[in-house]
Amino acid sequence: MSDQDEKTINNEDSGISRRRFLKLSKDMIAGIGAGGVLTSLVWVKKGIATIPVSEGYLLVDFKKCQGCVSCMLACSLVHEGVESLSLSRIQIMQNSFDSFPDDLTIEQCRQCVDPPCVKECPTDALEANAKYGNVRMVDKEKCIGCGTCYEVCPYTPSRAVLAADKDYDGELKSLKCDLCANTPFHWDEAGGGPDGKQACVEVCPVGAIKFTKEIPQQKGDDGYKVDLRGRNWGRLGYPNSEKE
Amino acid sequence: MNGYAEKILTLDLTERKVGAIPTSEYQHWMGGHGMGSAIFFDLVKDKTIDGFNPANVVTMMTSPLSATLVPAASGRTEVQGIGVQSYPIGWFTRSNLGGRFSGMLKFAGWDGIVIQGKADKPVWIDIRNGNVRIRDCAPLSLWGKETWDCQETIWEYVLSGGKYGDWNSPTGKEGGKTTQRPAVVTIGPAGENQSRLACLIHDASNAAGQGGFGAVFGSKNLKAISVIGTGQVGINNPKMLIATRLWQKENYAFDLAHLRETWGSFQFQSPPAPIIEWAKGRPNIGQRPQACLGCHSGCRARYKDASGNEASCISSAFYGDALSLDIQRSASDLINRYGLNAVEMTLGLVYIRILQMTRRLKTAKIPDCPLDFSKYGSKEFVEQFVKMLAYGNDGKGDESQFGRDISGGFVRAAEKWGRRKQDLDSGILAFPYWGIPIHKEPRAQVYWGYGTLLGDRDINEHDFDWIKWEASNAKSSGREPSLTAKEVVKIVTDKMVPFQGDLDMLDFSENNIYSEHMAKMVSWQRYYTRFWKQSMLFCDSRWPDFVNIHRPDKIGSTGIAEPKYVKAVTGMDFSFRDGVDLGRKIWNLDHAIWTLQGRHRDMVHFVDNVYEKIPLFPVDVRNAYMPGKENGKWDYYGYSRRKLDKNKFDEFKTRFYRLQGWDTSSGYPKRSTLESLGLDYVADELEENNKLGKE
Repeated sequence: MSDQDEKTINNEDSGISRRRFLKLSKDMIAGIGAGGVLTSLVWVKKGIATIPVSEGYLLVDFKKCQGCVSCMLACSLVHEGVESLSLSRIQIMQNSFDSFPDDLTIEQCRQCVDPPCVKECPTDALEANAKYGNVRMVDKEKCIGCGTCYEVCPYTPSRAVLAADKDYDGELKSLKCDLCANTPFHWDEAGGGPDGKQACVEVCPVGAIKFTKEIPQQKGDDGYKVDLRGRNWGRLGYPNSEKE
Repeated sequence: MNGYAEKILTLDLTERKVGAIPTSEYQHWMGGHGMGSAIFFDLVKDKTIDGFNPANVVTMMTSPLSATLVPAASGRTEVQGIGVQSYPIGWFTRSNLGGRFSGMLKFAGWDGIVIQGKADKPVWIDIRNGNVRIRDCAPLSLWGKETWDCQETIWEYVLSGGKYGDWNSPTGKEGGKTTQRPAVVTIGPAGENQSRLACLIHDASNAAGQGGFGAVFGSKNLKAISVIGTGQVGINNPKMLIATRLWQKENYAFDLAHLRETWGSFQFQSPPAPIIEWAKGRPNIGQRPQACLGCHSGCRARYKDASGNEASCISSAFYGDALSLDIQRSASDLINRYGLNAVEMTLGLVYIRILQMTRRLKTAKIPDCPLDFSKYGSKEFVEQFVKMLAYGNDGKGDESQFGRDISGGFVRAAEKWGRRKQDLDSGILAFPYWGIPIHKEPRAQVYWGYGTLLGDRDINEHDFDWIKWEASNAKSSGREPSLTAKEVVKIVTDKMVPFQGDLDMLDFSENNIYSEHMAKMVSWQRYYTRFWKQSMLFCDSRWPDFVNIHRPDKIGSTGIAEPKYVKAVTGMDFSFRDGVDLGRKIWNLDHAIWTLQGRHRDMVHFVDNVYEKIPLFPVDVRNAYMPGKENGKWDYYGYSRRKLDKNKFDEFKTRFYRLQGWDTSSGYPKRSTLESLGLDYVADELEENNKLGKE
């Protein structure tokens, strides 16, 4: 096991380490994927829920972001076929008058290892979809628009949002990041999801969003808000490391 | 149709009425400037009115590409109406601002805004999707606020009890959620006091700077327009839109992994580095690039100390004599916060400084100047100067005739002081056309000066400017330009439909600058910009993509990319040539409005300085190297150190008017030309006013 694997992966309430997690998993296991790696293990919480971990995550560098919100425009475009900031699963919020780096933040779905939205959904509409690498997805057929996912998401703003869905006569449906797994308007024949291409990652002009299959550190923001700058970013006159 | 919100908001401030025009009534103009000119023509019956007249109509238009993923075309808003800056007449004019206002307007369900009349007391407009309110400024004490304070106050008001950083429902529980702040366009104290230098400001430094629209807003008692939208914009072919965006990113944009240049330029391929002109360079502190909605390459930055946030280009050039970089950055903030035109502020301060240094400031006709020039370069000095322009006083709260004069514009001030002609002729008042400050050297980049004179304002269109920068930088550093003059001319002129193939359009040699070829070049730019930049709202900083150093053949995407985007968003088969042709129609409509305002060919001249003197200090490069054909050989030659010939320029006008199909004796439009463009009704109005040209 690498040092990376030693990172704490669970959220604040359990504080469980990856090594401990693996050990526990042996006892409470429901299945191991062919790869035999963590991303295909099954997570068991308190011996009740069985929610496999996602095989993909989005990482962002809010210090590199130029605030163009192209990612937001791309998100609603590939999912709903329209342009809308309100339908975007990734949200960039900025204040033109504020000082760098507090002037802007990027908030993306964390595909939590221990996802309250999945656990609490009363109709099991929010699920770890095995077809798409266990990404936490909404099954709109099951979604009743109750807003539980919106309420229980521990992050602000909630990574799930309710919006009227024209395919369901304007009924409220939950929207959340599926790593572009269910994108009727995806440009690439192979589509999205953990094994495909994510619109926000591909569109971002400055490479401020990255896809990874590695589970980010779950505690705090450091696992998800990372440094994606580099030497050439520095050549453009911007800070290229945390130290600067 | 996809790409459109289907309705245009109308605001009658006099009657305090909110209404709507179906966009379909003007959709044949496509969007932006074309729609704005057409609406203005229909609504303003007497085109000779002054810009301050309540009957003046101001339009703020988006395009079908606004709020979409089209790169550097999503965030701009076109502003039009009768301006108050130009001299001797405030022409019907335009300005344009970036940021996110146009996108938010579309998300709220509006393709544009038409502002009519004058409120009886200061008001602001609160747009939340389809819910539009004309609100008094008094409850929020908005009137009197600087532009940034005003926007923050409105942000909090619209929030209605939520908090930024979370989902909010400013449009009501049924109206959808958003995490975004409202997009607000506002005037500062300069606009309230109707300074002719007053502009419209949005966010930190997006400005509709030219034309004095801030003063026009002020005259209408209109402080600000706020919009928050939670809706959506329909896209005809979403897959095609994102695929085209990614195709352009892959093939034509900068590549961070393999940077070819590390500075910002007015090119599609430019990396996201701020285009700033602070005399002491860029601050060495934490910063990020900052881009307008949907742009692939931001051209400004936000800084660790928030000073100079989003300032770029001319707003960073103001007060170049500041004693420190920090002072100059704060000066950029000052003009944004008070809402002042950066170009005129910059050239106006140079004028006043020269008058002071040459001991002409204390001559009899000039009122006492309250500025203490022993503090020139300090923050205290520039703050007083900015406030003088904004309040029309001494900059410290007391009456000042000098302050009142310059807040009315520097050419008008010189006129009052009996110095206009002599200072224009000597060049110390560097406002060579229509009382507007110089931008590019009109003796070298003749198309820039010609376009400005034949139009209504400093064109501020950088389409061909890269050619000069690349050649001039190469010459000054002793390297070879990245392409030969002939290669550049071939690539660019091939894209200039319907005049493609005429290489001599870009021959800036003395023998060619008054020719039919140059008339075609100027015409093409007028048509291209009127449509693709000002109606479809492709950004001037990033388009056109003429020469692209990332391509093996160095040929950019312009001509191919634009129609792809129009097709993807709207579904229309609309070619690049179609756009240039519609641009010609819009140009003719604008020219008809200027004719109705009083334009005649005899008025169309530079100040004598341009004809009589070689520039001592060319404005942006020591010598502008441009393509030229001397003795049959294409190369880059320096053309700054020459004069224009007044008679030959007159001959050029005749060639230009003939090419447009206008009366060469007066410059008036001909009925036959207007009818061929489907502008019969425009011909009728010209005829009623005895302004129709002879066939």
